[in-house]
Amino acid sequence: MSISLWVKPLVLPLLLLLLGMTGLAWGVDGAAPQPLRGDYPDIGISSRAVVWVLAQLHLFFGALILAVPLFVLVIEFLGIITGDQRYDDMAREFLKISLVGFTLTAIFGIILTIALFGLYPQLMSYLARVFDGQWLVYLGVFLLENIFLYAYYYSWDRLREGRQKWGHLGLGVMLNLSGVAIMVLANAWVTFMMAPSGITTDGTVVGDIWDVMHGPLWHPMNLHRFIANIAYGGAVVGAYAAFKFLSSRDLAARAHYDWMGYTSNFIAILAFLPLPFAGYWLMAEIYAYSQQMGITAMGGILAWLFIIQAVLIGTILLAGNFYLWSGMSRSEGAVRYQWLIKYIALVLVAGFLVWVTPHTLILTAAERAALGGSHHPVLGPLGIMPAKNIAVNLMLIATFLSFQLYRRADKVVAVPWAAAGNALMTAIYLVAIANIIFVGVYYGYFTNTVYKVGSSVIQVVSTLVVIVSGIIIDSLMFKNAKKLPSHWGQVSNRSQYALFALPVAYTWLMGLMGYVRSSVKTHWHIYGVMKDNSPDNYIPTIGYAGNMITLVTVLFLLGLLFMFWIADRRVKA
Amino acid sequence: MLTKKTGIATLVMIWVGALAVSLLGFYLLNHGIMSMQGLPLNLDLTPAQ
Repeated sequence: MSISLWVKPLVLPLLLLLLGMTGLAWGVDGAAPQPLRGDYPDIGISSRAVVWVLAQLHLFFGALILAVPLFVLVIEFLGIITGDQRYDDMAREFLKISLVGFTLTAIFGIILTIALFGLYPQLMSYLARVFDGQWLVYLGVFLLENIFLYAYYYSWDRLREGRQKWGHLGLGVMLNLSGVAIMVLANAWVTFMMAPSGITTDGTVVGDIWDVMHGPLWHPMNLHRFIANIAYGGAVVGAYAAFKFLSSRDLAARAHYDWMGYTSNFIAILAFLPLPFAGYWLMAEIYAYSQQMGITAMGGILAWLFIIQAVLIGTILLAGNFYLWSGMSRSEGAVRYQWLIKYIALVLVAGFLVWVTPHTLILTAAERAALGGSHHPVLGPLGIMPAKNIAVNLMLIATFLSFQLYRRADKVVAVPWAAAGNALMTAIYLVAIANIIFVGVYYGYFTNTVYKVGSSVIQVVSTLVVIVSGIIIDSLMFKNAKKLPSHWGQVSNRSQYALFALPVAYTWLMGLMGYVRSSVKTHWHIYGVMKDNSPDNYIPTIGYAGNMITLVTVLFLLGLLFMFWIADRRVKA
Repeated sequence: MLTKKTGIATLVMIWVGALAVSLLGFYLLNHGIMSMQGLPLNLDLTPAQ
């Protein structure tokens, strides 16, 4: 092990400690500082743009390295209980891919820290004071994560046999616990800025560190980012598998990377299914904390971004489903289910079109006159949330059906109660779909707002009932099922391009929604407590934000190519 | 396999039973979720408030 491996984990903590201490020296007890325009350093270019790019790159790589060890652990565990060496090899290869990601995350973290303290000294000094000892905990956990990472990776061969393998798995558990701890600690900084707690209205700290961290948005943010990171990690390593599949000529290698791509897509789509619900919870808490903040997000200028969000999520669902449909060709048993694909596609496309239908259009006087008002007479009702809730829930159910059919494609059921099981599963699908449409139309358009909002929970739970009951029924029904041969590696090249589309759409989507989340604070550093008086204290235009997000996405994808290149060299070595 | 040995009447009973169980399940689910949010429903699922 080279010295640099030990030096790297120490650099960021020491830097943070140094800057944190400097920040403490700048701060004073009592109220939050209120910097004036002249107090912000002028570097000739937008400070916000600099921090935006660095923070987003740090977050993209951070999301990746949080997620990959999590499913590496699960796959390694599967390898132990099934005794199938392929799982163990795949888990190790996944970790190998993400290893460079740890270094890149740390590098961007270091530069971001310097930029934040340099460009926003008053804000950072105040945050350093408010979070006090929590910074030290963060540094300690960061050190631990690096120690566990290297111990986990480099002991893979040494701890391969017998009980030692369980010890190795224990290292993976510790790595993941420290990774999740880092995420929730850092989330507290962000949610404090959006919805501060443990302080008075002038920023004086009155609670302990738990009061400061435990704000109203902390839990929903933790859940949302945790699930999103897993989906994102799956999508990124799926692209690696696709790249390796397409560039391999060896049949065994193509079979291996086909299986790896399938596993990645499995993770990305399965984690993606509950993600909108975590997003709803976060938005509901934002509304509960501040109606104004909620309206800024979903009723003002930022509302249009949710239309772009719909396009991106539609892309993810269509790509994910297309990959599953293509993958069904691996097994001859898939013929039994192929007739259903066109109906699933119909639901996805119809749902996508409803989701992208805007409510309030930006119109000229002539266009408004031609339309007969601000809203389209027929399509107008599709622009509001009840229609979109129906659309998204049906799209998720359709995606789960694709997933379920794929899982069933290479199996022949053997239990005597198969007819009853299939009848129950079909009935659950039909009634859940009817319930989602009924609830959305009736409470959404014909009752008051309170019932309208409350009924969206019914739709979410109906979708979850389909997913959970589908997993349970299939687990029981196909427990001792006859397996039909699957021909790994015999899948179309087109399906692999779907695996490339996923991380691109995910990255752009994360950048977009990060911009929304940050912008709802409007002209506040810390909402309602510390005003942002910098030259950038306004919500940037959608066009400008779009360019910034695209720039960051391209930079991240270049970083990803670098990561794949290094990983490829490691694998060959 | 059940589907090969059983008659049409049994199959119909299975499907009707599955639909009835699902309908009842989702009906109770609607009441339960809305009640938990302090938004009770009448028996015909119209708002009680």
